[in-house]
Amino acid sequence: MIAFEPSEEQKMVRDAVAQFADRTLRPRMREFERARALPPDVVAAAHAMGLPLAAFPEAVGGSGLGFVTQVLIEEELAAGDPAAAFALGGPGAYGWAALLLGGPDVAKELLAPFAGEAGASRVGAVAWGEPRAAQGRAGLATVAEKTASGWRLTGEKRYVLDAARAQSFIVFAQVDPAEGWRGVGAFVVPADARGLRVTARHETLGLDAASFGGVALDGVEVPAGARLPFGSESPNVVWLFATQALLVAARGVGLARAAFETTRAYAEQRKAFGKPIGHFQAVAFTLADRATDLEAARAMVWRAAWDWDQLAKSEGGKPDARQALLHTAWAVSYAHEAAMRAGDDAVQLHGGSGFMRDYPVEKWMRDAKQLGLCGMTAEHADQLAAAVALDKDLDPGLVLPSAETQSAFL
Amino acid sequence: MTIEFSLSNRQRDTLAMVHQFAESVVRPQSLQWDRDHGVPHDFLRQIAMMAQSMGGGLVMGPGRSSGDEKEPSADEKKRRQPALSTVLGAEAMAWGDAGLLLCLPGAGLGGPPVRASGTPEQKKRFLSVFDDMSGELRWGAYALTEPGAGSDVAGIRTSCRKDGRHWVLNGRKCFITNGARASWNVVFATVDPALGRAGHRAFVVEKGTPGFSVGKIEDKMGLRASETAELVLEDCRVPEDNLLGGEDGYRTKEGFMTAMKTFDTTRPMVAAMALGIGRAAYEHAVAFVKEHYMLARSVPRYAAIAERLARVGRQLEGARMTTWRAAWLADQGQRNAKEASMCKAMAGGAAIRACIEAIEICGAEGSIAGDGRLLEKWFRDIKVYDIFEGTGQIQRIVIAKRLLPDLKSF
Repeated sequence: MIAFEPSEEQKMVRDAVAQFADRTLRPRMREFERARALPPDVVAAAHAMGLPLAAFPEAVGGSGLGFVTQVLIEEELAAGDPAAAFALGGPGAYGWAALLLGGPDVAKELLAPFAGEAGASRVGAVAWGEPRAAQGRAGLATVAEKTASGWRLTGEKRYVLDAARAQSFIVFAQVDPAEGWRGVGAFVVPADARGLRVTARHETLGLDAASFGGVALDGVEVPAGARLPFGSESPNVVWLFATQALLVAARGVGLARAAFETTRAYAEQRKAFGKPIGHFQAVAFTLADRATDLEAARAMVWRAAWDWDQLAKSEGGKPDARQALLHTAWAVSYAHEAAMRAGDDAVQLHGGSGFMRDYPVEKWMRDAKQLGLCGMTAEHADQLAAAVALDKDLDPGLVLPSAETQSAFL
Repeated sequence: MTIEFSLSNRQRDTLAMVHQFAESVVRPQSLQWDRDHGVPHDFLRQIAMMAQSMGGGLVMGPGRSSGDEKEPSADEKKRRQPALSTVLGAEAMAWGDAGLLLCLPGAGLGGPPVRASGTPEQKKRFLSVFDDMSGELRWGAYALTEPGAGSDVAGIRTSCRKDGRHWVLNGRKCFITNGARASWNVVFATVDPALGRAGHRAFVVEKGTPGFSVGKIEDKMGLRASETAELVLEDCRVPEDNLLGGEDGYRTKEGFMTAMKTFDTTRPMVAAMALGIGRAAYEHAVAFVKEHYMLARSVPRYAAIAERLARVGRQLEGARMTTWRAAWLADQGQRNAKEASMCKAMAGGAAIRACIEAIEICGAEGSIAGDGRLLEKWFRDIKVYDIFEGTGQIQRIVIAKRLLPDLKSF
């Protein structure tokens, strides 16, 4: 069947998150922005609702609600405050990297600290991005050298979401320089490891409540067991970026909805030349286009999320993940651009007032641009979609964010 | 309920069959039909029989016949998804040839208004003529547009006045698909243009009615296999029993609403047809790039082409999801006027882009007509999809009116 209605369970989750977003996030959006963080009570409330672990399989300590439910959650959170969706902490991409690159046993172990009351303030982060491309070869500039007891990591990582807040990182580094983009491995590194230094938090265009930064690794020693079994030689790294980008796309849908709804209401109420501005075609058509964008983006995100849930259910007789990747790539670039258009038009239709911080729309416009640089950019998603459509090899150097092409926050 | 994107077994089987038919039987002939301005009746009869044996639905769309056919119950609709099955089938058929789809015998676009507004007696009388077409093929048609009233449906000037047990119609209708060959046309006229929508009446005008004649058969840019006729009504005497819905149906604005209600069903179907053409062009371009371009070499142009393909693919996917949702809403018995307009506007636009970009990507080769070279035909066929059944601009007006409840007109 093809159906577009959430299950009763999904509706309950969605409605609860919507209420949280409406009562707690939206009214305090500017407060979070000024503080450049979510206050502990908000983080604790989200944790108590089980949001950070909702989508993870039960086998690894999650609630097993799956990606479709997760994208419903992300849309609601972002409709409250897009930045909050990025700032809630929890395992996030770290957890998904643990699952996709470590397997269920490793994921279960790495996710355990995030459960229970004590887990509320816990944050994981993934360090993939870098300031400069590797010189003279393909792949990451950060290297992992084998030592007698494990690995030694050296390099500088950038564009790391929650770098300043994480207690633990999954760091990507070049294990085999000769293998280029196929020779990248993933390592679990605690934030207090000797030689790891969190670099200064960036000041960014938008999503201020989230924290964007980096880490420097000055010969950080980790045991052999710190290396996750799968690296960039497997398709799982591409899956990791795709699924994380899909969650970002769902937030894009929430952001677009907030911007659209606010603007729709404004167009009804604001008068010019004797009638509401929405009664002029130039304004009404813009609203119609943004409403259509929203409808399309949401359904595309749902379909891609459904693909990933199907994939997760079908262990063994694995269906082709390329379908999920294609739908995800399409959804990601569409939603990113739809969110940007929604933010841009929201400010435009508010006129001069839209430029003022008294109104929320200028924040959404900044957030939209920032959001499009998280997970995967529209450009990378397009490269990924084309690579799948053309039956090309999914070259991580081409389809994943990197200093060689275009960086993105993960 | 749930959110899901799998086809029912029946939908999957029928789609596979339609696809195979479209590929191996329809496409090899489609350019010839285009040149001949029509599809041979023997071939149409074959398809009509095939469709009947399959139970209509997927292939014939809402134009499927049988006056005896009971309107399916709400539960039946939810289970069997007639609207959704129709859009799936329409995309697959149009992927083969949209012109053929418009030529298929049956009630065509005349079916929905008869089904929506006809009395039980009228439904039986006018729809049962399509029950057995083993001998003669029959069509129904929908005559709304006039030389002076295209998008402005409320502005029709074809007049009707009661004279004894007849209505006397005077005026001209233009751009009527299958209007010349139709056993009957649903003709919209007005008792008094000054009354606006309240003055509208819909009649089933049968072939051979005194005063009814066919004017010009149009020579078009595309969809040349499909007949587009001008209809002339000169003191055309229509029996009072042919007033759709009977006199009682016009105490309110029902006449105009008949025209509009129809669009809620037909717009998703027309959107799906556009998607079929758009997908054909997209797939053609993908295959061309795979075959002709040395993708292993890093030519700057290739990245641009990848981006273009991805953009086309995702626009089509977004439109497809919007179309599915509009049809799904119809099957759920929910109002879908806004969504029907959204999918129609989006699909028309996306499919035109797909054809334009595909030719651009294929270069000179893309403009050449011949065996297996249908791109130039699709380019010609697609343009009208952003025009008929309401232009893209009209769709935006419909959407805007539903977004802004106080907006009555511009």
